[in-house]
Amino acid sequence: MNFRRTAYMMLALFVLIAGAGYAQDDIVIDFYFPSATANDAEGIFQRYADTFQERNEGITINPVFTGNYTDTRNTILTELQGGGAGPDVAVMLTIDLYSFAEEGYIIPLQGFIDAMDDGGAYINDFFPALLANGIDEEGNIWAIPFQRSTPILYYNADLLAEAGYDSPPTNNAELVEIAQALTTDDRDGLLVPVAGGFPIWMFQSFAIAYGQNIVSEDPTEVHFNTPEAVAAVEFVRSLGTDLGVGPAGGAAWGDTPVAFLAGQAAMIYHTTGNLSRILNGADFEVGVWYLPSGPAGEDGTGYGSPTGGGNLYVFDDGSKSEAELDAIWKWVMFLSSAEIQADWGATTGYIAANASAWETEPLASRALEYPQYGVARDQLQFARKEFSSYATITIQGIINKTLESILTGEAEDAQAALEAAQAQIDGILAEYK
Amino acid sequence: MRASSRRKPLVALLQPYLLIAPTLVLVLMFNVVPAIRTVNDSLHKPARGLNAAGKPPEFVGTQNFRDLFDHGHYMGSRFLRAFRNTIVFALATVTVGVPLGLLLALLFNHKQPLLGVWRFAVFYPSLLPLIGAASIWSFIFSDSIGLANAVLRSLGHPGLNWLGDRNLVLLSVIVVNIWKQAGYFMIFFLAGLQNIPRDLYEAASLDGAGEMQQFAALTLPLLRRTLLFVIVIAFIFAFQTVEQLQALGEGGPNDSANLLLYLIFQNISERRSWGYVNAMTIVLIGVVLTFTISNFLLFERDEND
Repeated sequence: MNFRRTAYMMLALFVLIAGAGYAQDDIVIDFYFPSATANDAEGIFQRYADTFQERNEGITINPVFTGNYTDTRNTILTELQGGGAGPDVAVMLTIDLYSFAEEGYIIPLQGFIDAMDDGGAYINDFFPALLANGIDEEGNIWAIPFQRSTPILYYNADLLAEAGYDSPPTNNAELVEIAQALTTDDRDGLLVPVAGGFPIWMFQSFAIAYGQNIVSEDPTEVHFNTPEAVAAVEFVRSLGTDLGVGPAGGAAWGDTPVAFLAGQAAMIYHTTGNLSRILNGADFEVGVWYLPSGPAGEDGTGYGSPTGGGNLYVFDDGSKSEAELDAIWKWVMFLSSAEIQADWGATTGYIAANASAWETEPLASRALEYPQYGVARDQLQFARKEFSSYATITIQGIINKTLESILTGEAEDAQAALEAAQAQIDGILAEYK
Repeated sequence: MRASSRRKPLVALLQPYLLIAPTLVLVLMFNVVPAIRTVNDSLHKPARGLNAAGKPPEFVGTQNFRDLFDHGHYMGSRFLRAFRNTIVFALATVTVGVPLGLLLALLFNHKQPLLGVWRFAVFYPSLLPLIGAASIWSFIFSDSIGLANAVLRSLGHPGLNWLGDRNLVLLSVIVVNIWKQAGYFMIFFLAGLQNIPRDLYEAASLDGAGEMQQFAALTLPLLRRTLLFVIVIAFIFAFQTVEQLQALGEGGPNDSANLLLYLIFQNISERRSWGYVNAMTIVLIGVVLTFTISNFLLFERDEND
């Protein structure tokens, strides 16, 4: 009798599992989103979903929090590679574009834009630097800017004033001069967080400011062995060695803002994503400025920065109906509207992606009250594409490891190390030409 | 009569299989099938280039393994470093952590004031979630704001970059691992010690054996089974290390403290690396099996003396 009972129980279990998939009349959009900061992202997105559903009968948004950016990418890849449905729309890193395009999981959005009455106006409202990572080499748009950030310079204005500096540095000679003047036994003059596995982002600021970004519009081209890249990495290394304004090998990502708030670092490079936290946490006057990473040009300045953060991607393997795709595009348009971008920027501190959002409340008055928010936006004129290519993860790994070996003194000859890495990278990218 | 006696064995024959079926299905699905696929995938190179998802992988024989053991290859240079680190890490945590656990057990096996407090203090780290404990240590090791450097600086030392100096990171991770596990090992040794009859020691003292002699001739041989067990789990823990690295420098600058399982984790999300990831998994399993089996052989041989 025992086994018959077991069989019945198993049958009941199967019926229960099968019954879980139920019919649904509405179009349901699965929206996956990560969070890289301590914001209440789940609460915010639920609020946006509710607002959207009130205005759009028959569409249900299902927001799914998927951890940090890496977890989100891995979750989506695992679902799709295993034959699952995956999301309809997701926020993923801007640099994930080619990983997903390569697999054929995401679709270009150019068709939706071309079909709009005022598609040109919609796209031109975005800051061009924020679109750069979402455009392929033929000019097609694949992704819409959403959760965006850049690195910026934070400085302790009180300490600078004490030392006789009324304004922040505008090129890397001034950066070194001020950093050295402010370095004491228990305080670092400048912390650039290149330790801890991800030096490429900060390094890009220096490479761009020295005049040559390491990526181009062509995802099969990487420029890692240029004279500008060599000069840039040697400059970053010297901050911790010859110049002695920070720790050898660079500062760790998480420690940097903590040290700044504790008065143990006079200036730091860090993400705009931490702007609200630093402004709220400091008991001194916080100054924010463009990254003065390069030598002075004709106008005396040497600015340069990569962009960072996430974009909105649309997933389709060709099985979605016109009505579903229309609903998906409506949700993307809603999230990238001035109304939502203004709310998002003011709530989280991420850079609102379109110009009109900065004239929309509540962001307009927040930017007036705290001019620091506007600095991040204005720096976008000096900002360039974040590193992204085919085989992004593998190549980014090679670049990070090479930079680390130079910055920690393991590889003394920077030129030779960059040449060796470039040869490996070219070997991989040759498969995509 | 005959018919029923024939039917009964059939049911009896089927019933045990039906009863273990749920477990069997799960083991097949989550252990056996993935293991077979891992071996298969380690001999293939996934499709690369555009629209890779639709293309079949290419059979490459042992090419993935040869790339891994090639210093000049981009994955090989990382793998060989992580492989060496994993061996160093395992040997260091076992040769320091296990004797430390035994020493603590010997210390806290005698009646003494506040015994429970001492035992709890030593055991406490193993109750903490690993990632939480490692995060606490990442603050202790922080260059500018960390406790370790605050102590060093108060003694006049300029401080060490625990998680940023390529020569120190692996040591830092090893220290955290030993701190986390020594108390756990102590519990097994304590249990083992309590099982040794006290009259053996009384007899030994009457025969004039000193403390060291008693330890070498009585305690150690009688703890052999516990020791084997602890060493085996210590090795397995060491090869499973992932969480600590996530909090403690993510493998260190240029993989100076990276370990095999974490390197596998770091490369798993890109299709083009799957051949390497599976080959690394096979190597890792091979290493764990070698350590475990040689431990058993070593101790079992003594057992038969």
